Amino acid sequence: MTSSIDAAAPSRRTRARRVKLPPAWAIAVSLLFALLCVVNLLPVIWGILTSLKSQEDLFRYPPTLLDFTPTLENYERVITSGFLGTLQVTILYACGTVLATLALALPAAYAFDRFEFPLRSTLLLLVVASIPLSLGAAALLIPNYIFFTRLGLTNAWFTLPLIYTANQLPMAIWIVKGTLETIPRELDEAALIDGSDHFGILWRIILPLSRPALGAAGVLAFVGSWNEFVVSSVMVDNPALRPVQPAIYNFIGYFGREWGPLTAAAMMGIVPILLIFILLGRQIVSGLTRGSVKG
Amino acid sequence: MTKALGAALGVAASIIGMALATTAIAQETTIRMWTFLNPAGTAPREVALAKIITQYEAANPGTKILVEPQVWDQMTPKFLAAHATGNAPDVIWVVTDFLGDAIASGSLADLNELFINDWPAERVADNAGAYWDLTSVDGKQHAIFVSRNYISLMYRKDLLDAAGIDPNGFATWQEFRDAAEQLTEKDAAGNVTRYGFAQGFSEQQADPSVMIPQLLATGEPLFNADGTANFASDAGVAAMTFLTDLVKDGISPRESVSWTVDDLFEQFAAGRLAMVQGPAVRVSTLQAQLGKDKVGLALWPGNGTVEHSPAVMAGWAVGVWSGSANAEAAGSFVEYMLGPDGDPIWVEAGGQVPGLLSTLANMKDFIAQPGNEYLSVAAEGAARYGWLTPIEFSVGGYRQALNKAAQRILVEGTDVATALEDAEAEFNRLNNR
Amino acid sequence: MQSRLTSMSYVLPAFAAMTLVLFAPVIYGFWFSLYRIQYGVQTGFIGLGNYARLLTDPSLGATFWRTVVFASATVALTTAIALCLAVWINGLGNRRGFIAQMIIILPWIISTVVATLLFRWVFLNDIGLAISLARTLGFSNVHPLNDPNGAMGWLIAVSVWKRIGYALIIILAGLKGIPEDYNEAARIDGASDWQIFSSITLPLLKTPLLLIVIVLTLSSVNTVETPLVLTGGGPGSATRILPMDVFDRAFLTYDLGSASSLAVMMFCGNVLLVLAYVRLARWKV
Repeated sequence: MTSSIDAAAPSRRTRARRVKLPPAWAIAVSLLFALLCVVNLLPVIWGILTSLKSQEDLFRYPPTLLDFTPTLENYERVITSGFLGTLQVTILYACGTVLATLALALPAAYAFDRFEFPLRSTLLLLVVASIPLSLGAAALLIPNYIFFTRLGLTNAWFTLPLIYTANQLPMAIWIVKGTLETIPRELDEAALIDGSDHFGILWRIILPLSRPALGAAGVLAFVGSWNEFVVSSVMVDNPALRPVQPAIYNFIGYFGREWGPLTAAAMMGIVPILLIFILLGRQIVSGLTRGSVKG
Repeated sequence: MTKALGAALGVAASIIGMALATTAIAQETTIRMWTFLNPAGTAPREVALAKIITQYEAANPGTKILVEPQVWDQMTPKFLAAHATGNAPDVIWVVTDFLGDAIASGSLADLNELFINDWPAERVADNAGAYWDLTSVDGKQHAIFVSRNYISLMYRKDLLDAAGIDPNGFATWQEFRDAAEQLTEKDAAGNVTRYGFAQGFSEQQADPSVMIPQLLATGEPLFNADGTANFASDAGVAAMTFLTDLVKDGISPRESVSWTVDDLFEQFAAGRLAMVQGPAVRVSTLQAQLGKDKVGLALWPGNGTVEHSPAVMAGWAVGVWSGSANAEAAGSFVEYMLGPDGDPIWVEAGGQVPGLLSTLANMKDFIAQPGNEYLSVAAEGAARYGWLTPIEFSVGGYRQALNKAAQRILVEGTDVATALEDAEAEFNRLNNR
Repeated sequence: MQSRLTSMSYVLPAFAAMTLVLFAPVIYGFWFSLYRIQYGVQTGFIGLGNYARLLTDPSLGATFWRTVVFASATVALTTAIALCLAVWINGLGNRRGFIAQMIIILPWIISTVVATLLFRWVFLNDIGLAISLARTLGFSNVHPLNDPNGAMGWLIAVSVWKRIGYALIIILAGLKGIPEDYNEAARIDGASDWQIFSSITLPLLKTPLLLIVIVLTLSSVNTVETPLVLTGGGPGSATRILPMDVFDRAFLTYDLGSASSLAVMMFCGNVLLVLAYVRLARWKV
């Protein structure tokens, strides 16, 4: 069982034969994948092409794929409207959210997994039950706005990181706790005998061993806060505090959709997320892996 | 771990920097304004707003205008909530459908007290018109319109010229229909390549149904005096039948059932439609895409008794928040933005319809330039053939109700009178009437 | 082994944040919904008056069942498709699997509004690529969003498309967590691929599948952006689902009383759903 605590076990992955689909299924799924390739890539390619089109080429009918003179004017427009500053703020928000989420989720998950305390299972159930709270924010938007305004929590630099952190916490606690279950308690006990306290165990043993899970939870928190639109459009007003999604939405204005700048902003907004997934995509799967089959 | 720590410190430092930057602004008098325009943007109206702010700030050192761009469809509800919690901006843009709510809630300061009482009589007269009267309730001027949206007949000038059709000359709706039929083109295979007329029927981002001008021209009101809907009158049924028949007979496209106004204008820009229902505020945008000589605005057809059917007028009015600590300074900015200094900038840089009669007169040459005729059409229409939604009661949802009725007629085959009666019932229920 | 105080101090910061941002506003929202709301202000206590008025709305039942159909179809299809793809990708090599995974998660990592707008423009818009192509191929009467069932079908399709990526990642993680020796042992005992899948793989995926089903159910029961951008609820009311109804009540007719009472009821429904899932799966927490 000790092999399961090796952070990465690439040897195991390549060694044995994996379960494969029966041939008929394999063909069906390959076709499904081919369809998904078209359906997933075409809108993005179309978005990139559109972002390079000038006003006159945008609505040519029938639509033109490649027969146009590419221009960067849409990107220029987006950048002049302050989009780079917006991206910067959003990166700060997302990083702040990730750090705060992990810093709060790890001790909580540790306590839920290792300690026995009053109301433990009630509180854990509450964590699971609050997943819908973080997803259903749009429904109570106006009362929420009044509530946060009364407390003086709107339109400040900490408004969005605070809300996002709380939104991401339930899922992060769940993921991290799953991994902690796979870390043998013998390690804690050995450390206790050596004179370490609980915080020492958390810092020196649990933290390094749960790094993949923290990475996975962190990536999910990053994506969640990066793509959040409704809360950010309502809870902050100052343009210096506005993140990327309302800035993109701004090009779907009252006077019409401006597809050129809209797609240019959207494509620039995808790049950071894409980079994260290319760099950490494997990490997120392996980070979710260890806790994920335990119940 | 040191890396993570470094990153954390970096984040913390930048956040503190951001906090400092926002407090630094507070040194001088800052006027917060909510609008859907981003003055850093490059759309014509955004450029106009930025120019007005720059000029105002240069003329009034010590005052800074901080624009906080909002998502336009959430802005007014959010403002009312902000008013309730004492945290609203100093200057607010309010859309016509919510104007009644904004005034009734007491969230808008009386502009008479702030600056209008100091005006000479000529300046008050310069503002005269239906829009001015709408925001004047119980002797108080609650807001002044910045964007006047005259929603009438938009057309492809090149196509109508080629067909020899004068869109301002339709004496009846039947003549309009004949012209639309004539403008509908098919290719050799029988596919329609261009439709004569269209409006978008989606409930999302809905413009008011084209049945309304036709209904109002008969003298029948759209709402009863108590605020209940009056959609299913004989005139209403006739108007809706006319409108949906355009689709049934292939003069308007079937797919317009799911179109929002944005879809409509994209189709129009692609040359798939010769005439559409379109607001004056969109003309400049479309001219930028298609060319100044290709897009025009006309008054609605007459009906034999009236020369032109009344068009729905909407738009955005600007007010000062009644709880503002800087009401004087905020009023001064509104006065500037919508006065003789700001108005010409809105027209020239923003392509907006003039708000002041003097601007209309002073900019005669500009308005007479080819492509700019829509400005005088909208100004004339607003003065003589316009209809503003009532503000004594809330009418939120009437556009959606009528579009939904049209969808049901076209898709489910519902009888016109039944669909309109159901729409009436739903509107009344949602508005608690 | 440790004092109550230490345990609580580990959990407290997280719960403080969640209480402030998640729990307290719901309680506030419930309190808010007990008042008559005029222009965004509470003007008088009316108890359950808003709820009573809401429940007499004749259209609510249909909207509810539409939401059930939409959510169950979205969850079932997303889970099934993601499961097939995950097993398939797990069988591919590392590099090819990674590329396939990146392609599949693309719609998930783009924001909903942008993704839906692009999808609608490319595939469903009359002047978009797909329909223009169909027209040149001789299909002149393709209006995908006009037919009530078709519109609902597309709404489900787009919602599934947007969510497959998330489900895939979680299931893939679950698959990789199953030790290979389990499969090997079964294979030596003469089990077929299908038997291994159904009697070993699937039961071991219980936890990730449960998580997916919970998250997908809640996200589809609460999605506003997709129907708003795709169909606007039409034609007629064919794609009007509960979250859109709340949104329209709040922002179109500005009836905050019925909007917040409906939102509170939906919230209670959400929590019950989660508890039911946890119960059904006999999941120990």
